[in-house]
Amino acid sequence: MADQRAGRGPAITCAALAKTFGTGPAAVEAVAPLDLTFAAGELTALVGPSGCGKSTVLRMVAGLEAPSAGTVTLDGAAPADLQGEGALAMAFQDASLLPWRSVRGNVALALKLARKPVDLAAVDAMIARVGLAGFENARPAELSGGMRQRAAIARCLVTQPRVLLLDEPFGAVDELTRARLNTDLPALWQAQGTTALLVTHSVREAVALADRVVVFSSRPAQVVADLRVPDLLALDSAEGRTLMAEVTAALSQGWADDPGSGRHAAQ
Amino acid sequence: MIRARGDMPRSRAMAGAVTLAVRLPRLSREGAQAVGGALAALVLWELAARGLAGSYLLAGPVDVARYLQANSGLMGRALAITLENAALGFVAGNLAAVALALVVVLIPRSQPVVAGFALVVFCLPLVATGPILRVLYGPGPGPQITLAALAVYYTTFIPLMVGLRAAPASWFDLMRVYGRGAWTAFVQVRVMAALPYLLAGLQIAAPAAFLGAMVGEFTGAERGMGVLALRAMRGLDVEATWALATVAAVVAMLAYGALGWVARALAPARPEVLLAPPPATALSGRAGRALRGAGVAALTLVLMLALWWGVMEAFGLSRFFAKRPDDLWAFLVSAPTAAENRAILWEASAQTLTYVLPGYLAGLGLGAVLAMVLVLAPGLAGAVLPVAVALRSVPIVTTAPLIVLALGRGAAGTITIVAVMIFFPALVACLQGLRQAPGQVLDVMATYGAGRLTRLIHARLPAMLPAFFAAARMSVPAAVLAVTVAEWLATGTGLGNLMALTASTSNYNLLWSAVVLVALGSAAGYALVGAVERRVLARVAPEQLR
Repeated sequence: MADQRAGRGPAITCAALAKTFGTGPAAVEAVAPLDLTFAAGELTALVGPSGCGKSTVLRMVAGLEAPSAGTVTLDGAAPADLQGEGALAMAFQDASLLPWRSVRGNVALALKLARKPVDLAAVDAMIARVGLAGFENARPAELSGGMRQRAAIARCLVTQPRVLLLDEPFGAVDELTRARLNTDLPALWQAQGTTALLVTHSVREAVALADRVVVFSSRPAQVVADLRVPDLLALDSAEGRTLMAEVTAALSQGWADDPGSGRHAAQ
Repeated sequence: MIRARGDMPRSRAMAGAVTLAVRLPRLSREGAQAVGGALAALVLWELAARGLAGSYLLAGPVDVARYLQANSGLMGRALAITLENAALGFVAGNLAAVALALVVVLIPRSQPVVAGFALVVFCLPLVATGPILRVLYGPGPGPQITLAALAVYYTTFIPLMVGLRAAPASWFDLMRVYGRGAWTAFVQVRVMAALPYLLAGLQIAAPAAFLGAMVGEFTGAERGMGVLALRAMRGLDVEATWALATVAAVVAMLAYGALGWVARALAPARPEVLLAPPPATALSGRAGRALRGAGVAALTLVLMLALWWGVMEAFGLSRFFAKRPDDLWAFLVSAPTAAENRAILWEASAQTLTYVLPGYLAGLGLGAVLAMVLVLAPGLAGAVLPVAVALRSVPIVTTAPLIVLALGRGAAGTITIVAVMIFFPALVACLQGLRQAPGQVLDVMATYGAGRLTRLIHARLPAMLPAFFAAARMSVPAAVLAVTVAEWLATGTGLGNLMALTASTSNYNLLWSAVVLVALGSAAGYALVGAVERRVLARVAPEQLR
């Protein structure tokens, strides 16, 4: 039964993983050969300048992009295998809700796509857990940006995925809503022991949510820092501020080769 | 050109409660303006009829109502026949459009060839295909239904093709993350995303089907509105002509309105569809790309010739009336009289050009200018726009006789018919475009106290251009249709007359040559406007060309 396996996320291993878009003189190297392992059940934040290739790493883990070289394995399995089991879930920069479906319809669609029984009680329970109770029949166009992202998170979690991939899901959400989401939501996937990757611009968000922060250089993506976040770290504590300063310093180092790019991400 | 679904207004949820309170009075104000506009049109019409009484030009609403009452049985039977043919053609044409769009979406590489083929077939002049189909089918409703289908399939095919591709990439990623393939994506995403586009296409198609069926009936049918219209026009029966035009216009408007209502009920979030394909990406610059463009054009041409020849052979149609490409080659190039034949065609083409060019430019220009005036005087727009949208759906075959009655059979009447045919779609498209000006840009201008005229020039005009050009491209086949119909019905000159004449004298070589010339000429005009569009948009709206 999928439910019994839901508690254990796989370890994700990137071995000499590289991606080049295009060929010939127009070729763009998005990801330089990358060796990284993400531990089972952990949330790792990937931060880096805009366009550095961190989203490409995420898309290769999701099996949406084929690597130019190297491999991604999840406990030895290929991304496509997990796709087929409905064990993957991904949240996109825009909520990517289907506008003709209600919130309930969008969340239920994930169960259907993952070939799992569509249990509407479980769907409504998940909608309530992201704080959207009462909006089950609302269309995406009737929701605010933050509400849509929460609906998208509910769609991700309702299938109890073993791997959760978050591609800047809160990028378009205002700071206040973002802070609320950051406090409300982690409990949802931490309880399931899911292995999660979060791509984000926000140093604060990365440190607040993740067990580990990997900082990438500007394109092609290479690791410039790999930092562990202590459990129960308070962001306002001296330790928390030091860690955020470290991440920021690593980011600046990554930009040194390419001044002027991605400066807006400094906050 | 279609704008991809942008961000929906974020404040909708909050505005929801407010809208309920605000929408009702606003809707009724708009409704009142529309009713006011329609009433004003009716009153003006009646006054004009009374003013011109005795001149045998105009029958007013009262005369029309009286005529319809007296001849209700005849009109009812004719209307039923034409409606039936139009409905059958509507179904057949839209099924063909769906099939073509599916081919293009499933085999993306086929798009340039399929779209080019669809355009040329759409450019076939109804005036000539009517008689040819009459010969091929013999008596019966075949030509009417086929012409109705030909009149609708392109305006459904184009938005549907765009709609099937309108979904953002992340929706497809979502399907793939769960290991689902192209079929699930097709059912869950493409079909649903395309539905509003399809419905918008069907809405335009409904009046067009009626037009096609009527033209089909002109070509020797026994019953139907087209037959009555032709008879009334030939007999200078002013009341009958106006009564038929009124009935056809009302039917077209009702069909347009009914499908609009269905569309709003099924797919409330309607796209900004301008019902024209986006401008082709520029082929200039690299020689390789230009070469590929030429290759696609050549491939399209070869496929069309093969299909033409194949269909004729497959049905074993007689070479006497079903000409093959090699017959036309002989007629126009290798026969001893070829030079003479070409001269006849050139002379008719030159005559047609002198009507179609001024009419096309006047209709397009007037549409754009009136749209701008309406933006400067928004109160007026509420009254004029519903009338313009309604009149846009009135078939040309019904207005042509009226204009001929009013302006005579000379150049003025023909040019006016072309201009009228272009004017309403251009007006509606330009108004839509002007309204697409980004609110933030308008707000910035408002903070500097910029007046309406400044805002029009700096914010709205650039936003209007894509819509204007989309209308300009789609107007090319429409203008050619209008001019050939007018020449055939009224002036007795040009290609329209040549086609009607050769059809009745069974000079099928000349008829087929004229058909090919008109179709290729329309397609070339369409491509020419597209080229101008690319150059202009590259300067003022480069984001539209991506």
